[in-house]
Amino acid sequence: MSAAGVRVEGLSKRFRHRVKGDLWAVRAVTLDVGPGEFLTLLGPSGCGKTTTLRMIAGFEEPDAGRVFIGEEDVTRLMANRRSIGFVFQNYALFPHLSVFDNVAYGLRVRGVAVAEVARRVGEVLAMVGLARYERQQPHQLSGGEQQRVALARAIVIRPRVLLFDEPLSNLDATLRVHMRGEIRRLQKDLSITAVYVTHDQEEAMAVSDRIAVMSEGAVVQEGTAEDLYHRPASAFVARFIGRANLLAGRVVEAGAGVVTVAVAEARLRLPTALPSSVGEEVRLVVRPESVEVQAEGSGGAGDIDGAVVTRTFLGEKVDYQVQMGQHLLLVTRSNSGPGAALVPGQRVRLRLPVESVRLLRSAE
Amino acid sequence: MPRPAGSRAPGARRDPALLATVTVLWVLLGLFVLFPLASLLARVLLDGGRLSLAGAVAILGDPHQLRALRNSLLLASLVGAAGTGLGFLFALTATRAGLGRGWVAALDAITLLPLISPPFTTAIAMIFSFGPRGLLTYQLFGIKGFTVYGLGSTFASETLTYFPIAYLTLKPVLAAIDANVEDMALSLGASRRQVFGTVTLPLAAPGLANAFLLLFAASLADFATPLILAGNGFPVLPTQAYLQITGLFDLRGGAMLSFALLLPAFTVYLLQRYWVSRRYYVTVTGRAGAGTSVKTVAPWVRPVLAALCLAVAAVIAYFYALLVYASIVVALGANHAWTLRHYHVIFTEGVKAIRDTLVIAGLSMPLGGLYGVLVGYLVARKRFAGRQAMEIVSMINYALPGTIVGIAYLIAFNEPPLALTGGALVIVACYVFRYSPTGIRATVAQLQQIDPSIEEASLGLGATTSATFRRVTLPLILPAFFAGLAVVFIRSMTAISATIFLVSINWTLITVRILENMTELSLGPAAAFSVLVVAVVFVVMALISRLLRAFRAPGVPSLGSVIGG
Repeated sequence: MSAAGVRVEGLSKRFRHRVKGDLWAVRAVTLDVGPGEFLTLLGPSGCGKTTTLRMIAGFEEPDAGRVFIGEEDVTRLMANRRSIGFVFQNYALFPHLSVFDNVAYGLRVRGVAVAEVARRVGEVLAMVGLARYERQQPHQLSGGEQQRVALARAIVIRPRVLLFDEPLSNLDATLRVHMRGEIRRLQKDLSITAVYVTHDQEEAMAVSDRIAVMSEGAVVQEGTAEDLYHRPASAFVARFIGRANLLAGRVVEAGAGVVTVAVAEARLRLPTALPSSVGEEVRLVVRPESVEVQAEGSGGAGDIDGAVVTRTFLGEKVDYQVQMGQHLLLVTRSNSGPGAALVPGQRVRLRLPVESVRLLRSAE
Repeated sequence: MPRPAGSRAPGARRDPALLATVTVLWVLLGLFVLFPLASLLARVLLDGGRLSLAGAVAILGDPHQLRALRNSLLLASLVGAAGTGLGFLFALTATRAGLGRGWVAALDAITLLPLISPPFTTAIAMIFSFGPRGLLTYQLFGIKGFTVYGLGSTFASETLTYFPIAYLTLKPVLAAIDANVEDMALSLGASRRQVFGTVTLPLAAPGLANAFLLLFAASLADFATPLILAGNGFPVLPTQAYLQITGLFDLRGGAMLSFALLLPAFTVYLLQRYWVSRRYYVTVTGRAGAGTSVKTVAPWVRPVLAALCLAVAAVIAYFYALLVYASIVVALGANHAWTLRHYHVIFTEGVKAIRDTLVIAGLSMPLGGLYGVLVGYLVARKRFAGRQAMEIVSMINYALPGTIVGIAYLIAFNEPPLALTGGALVIVACYVFRYSPTGIRATVAQLQQIDPSIEEASLGLGATTSATFRRVTLPLILPAFFAGLAVVFIRSMTAISATIFLVSINWTLITVRILENMTELSLGPAAAFSVLVVAVVFVVMALISRLLRAFRAPGVPSLGSVIGG
């Protein structure tokens, strides 16, 4: 199966809402997925990610914009002519067909010879670990097994693109982790281009080459998981990918490529590409694990005063809420053994390492 | 099968109120379901105290009666097939043609008309249109000597009368097919037609089978339409049984003929209940795709579907308009001057029938509604000896063709110790036990959606069983109660097949009067009576529907959807 990229240009879709009137579910979305690449559309429910995916599949018709698979413009092509494999959240198995017949469906409608159908169905069922399940009916299978059938059915037709719509959200947590590994492995082995929709940031980070974060119908940031985590372009992305402290600060000194920002009692010299002026209100993104915290008087390098408010023991790590000026800071530290923890009420010294602080305009 | 509340529910032994209720219900079921059926069987099978099939064999060996049996089966098969097809067309249009909500509501409304009218309303309109002085055949096209009577018109009339049942059966089946499944087939490369043939149709198959069986049974049991339209050339069993009794005063012969209906009717019932109902496909878990538009129907097919439905709806609308028209002209086909004469007739000469019908329907409605809720509640929630038997017995009169039930009542209650015929009680009993099963089923369905722990909470707080029923369960099953009320009332106003054997000088019914008018060719009063019945039923339906909406809990079927069953 030759891998083909997917390109989406200015894709838009309007929906009629009973209360709010006309609504842009998807607004001018542009994406470029390379051949064999795994791209995830990540966002909260209602952000337009599923609608975008369904337009790529051909289940919805866009009101504007175009969809390309490889070099072919498929915007006006029906779903059955696009050569895609789709995996639904509820699997959408044909309830009246056995596992074998479900997987064979796409081959049969293509007129593939009987012997070839049997061979290829056997092959993909073995690939997803359901070798002896041919005669089972869908309702006899567990959720995980149904999921594998759905996957086998999507890949057996050797699609140019694999599309996933929240495929794991009906599974329990353990199985979810296991299955996402399998999906990634299959996609790599077959080197098929994949577009994957989820609202689970951890899942997105685990499977994707690249993630496009969506909000209110538009792509707000695109990049690798690390890009998004360390260099969020907006407060929304910072909050959506991982956990983040968002601190209000003010520019007190602006130089070339460097600004000094006052936050609580601290002065932070931060590198920035954004032109800033003195007095401008900004926001700082600080990840909980990058805040340095030490008990007062322990001789640490902290330069800001704080007090521990709550402590939540989570096994491998410990979460603290620390009062820092008017800010309540979330701080997380890996568990360094019994007895080493800070306790609520304790005075602490904090430090915000400038290399892991991200500067945002106030409006972003 | 309803799930009992489990071992936690108190059994009859420790609950005197339950024991008393169950006992009373069994006495009533014995009296009005088992005893008449046993009397009918005894009359058919016993000859001078000995078991003998000779009489039955003799009457069924008669070539004329054999032909009636064959005709009945032929008619039922044709109506079943055509009605299912028409119902499928309407269901497909309602769920797949992308019609606006208003259009679907209009389809629902027009298909409701035949369901709430007397079963022979369409037959009457057929006579008005195509009869000896028919508006279309004689007046418009000037065809003389056109005979409307026979298989063709009976078939057409019954199909139009009963296809709404198929529509109501198939609409939820089609609506329940996960649109993602069709999308999936499409994405795997199937064409629209392939998706329809390999996914949509197979998934609707159990619904189609069910609809066919329901229509088959309805046509098999239909007595009034053939009586008006079949004519001498096309005898069917229910009418033959009726003529045997009323014309030849041969009760045993009539009983035997009606008995011949029993086997096919019973087979259909068993097939429907124990075979088809288990073949519905399990809906796969998970959220269905929100706002998915269905694509299996090509854009150009949608207006075609809508146009076909519109054509059928237009025929129904025309028939009902014709009925109204016939009731306000002097003589349809001869003198089209306006008059209120026919209404004057029915409110003077016919006022007794109107009063009797309203009294009987007014009595049957609350009794039937209460009985339905009570049996449904006991069957779904309580554990007592004979629970399943009660459920089955309570369904018997509903499953049997009306002719059988009517003749069985006639045999059972004609002589002491239970000489009830001629009174109102026997008609009321007939309606209650024949038409409450809809209420029973609605109650069971409603209770299956209510967690038993809600009732257990009430018991745990110290309420007695009866207080729990009154204060907790009853409010929750009120919608089912109203649905039961509506069905019993509608049927009490419109039914004829069973009760035509039970009317007397003292108590008569509008539907019987309409049939008499038709045979006497006083078409005007027949039309006026029919319009009156439809109007009364419509008003009461609207009232109950409004009440139902006021009490409507989530997941309760609408009134329209329970009437067909």
